[in-house]
Amino acid sequence: MGRQALLRKSVFLIFLTALMMAPASAQIARIKHSAGNAAIERGSNRLPAVPGRQLFAGDRLVTGKDGRISLSFIDNTRFAIGPNSSVSVSEFQYDRTRQRGSFLTKVDRGSLAVVSGKIAKSGPDAMKVRTPNTLLGVRGTKFIIDVPK
Amino acid sequence: MIRAGLTTAAFLLLGGCATSSLVLLPDDEGHQGSVAVLEVAGQPAGAIIASGNSRTALGDKTPMTKPLGAKGLKKQEAALLTGLPPPARSFRLYFEQGTVTLTPQSVSVLNALKAEIAVRSGPEVEVIGHTDTIGSGESNDNLSMRRAEQVLSWLVSQGLDRSIMSAVGRGERELTQPTADNVASAANRRVEVIVR
Repeated sequence: MGRQALLRKSVFLIFLTALMMAPASAQIARIKHSAGNAAIERGSNRLPAVPGRQLFAGDRLVTGKDGRISLSFIDNTRFAIGPNSSVSVSEFQYDRTRQRGSFLTKVDRGSLAVVSGKIAKSGPDAMKVRTPNTLLGVRGTKFIIDVPK
Repeated sequence: MIRAGLTTAAFLLLGGCATSSLVLLPDDEGHQGSVAVLEVAGQPAGAIIASGNSRTALGDKTPMTKPLGAKGLKKQEAALLTGLPPPARSFRLYFEQGTVTLTPQSVSVLNALKAEIAVRSGPEVEVIGHTDTIGSGESNDNLSMRRAEQVLSWLVSQGLDRSIMSAVGRGERELTQPTADNVASAANRRVEVIVR
């Protein structure tokens, strides 16, 4: 094999390894269940929140008066979102190997139940939740936030 | 004093009658974590809410926390908890020395794994391969990846969608049973599968 071909092969292998080491690195969660009017707002796109759909950092989850969404994150955090809600995952970084990260959720209106996962365990305020008037630091627990309209 | 009272009244009026609230609960294992109030209306705060089965009205730097009491959760709160996805479940499969061959006991775990994925809505499967410390670090990276892919290929052969699965190999970096280098360990020759 010539040097060029070898180089090309090496580059290809490195690329392939990178793909295998970081599968779908940007994916942060998946929708598990949804009911009624339930959508993901991603930039200017609005996607139905169907089971199995992947979420990315920056996504906003929106439900109507009959809407519900539940989802599981890659750090094992679990969410259930109630009707008339608007909940954004503003920031989500997770290092699967070291099991550390940072996580900021904004609850602009409606209700959100949370069972925290590995990010909350990785540092005192690694997981935060913002409501219109309060910023909370989550220290490993289960809770419900309600933000009435 | 009067001014403070007026400020509070003005704040309450601005905030309207509906106030955000936090219900704090023990986790499914019965442990009680806490939530810190870091900021209120853009100002730093430092209160810690730590009592389980409690309700706290948010918006005050020193919020009042009350026990849920006999009334318990509101109907919509209970419905929200019922709607939470099931916790992640993990499976361990063990391998014969230096190979991608499952131990006989682990073959039956495959079926339990498949059944768990089948009952979940919108499932996601994370497959993580490991080795013991026999051989070089590099060859173990390779072997751990092949073990993970072996499990993944089996799941695909059972009709599962490849796109819900991911596989990584961590070589001999994460021993479940710590050993010196070049030590055979049945416990370390494993693939961990997390189903969400």
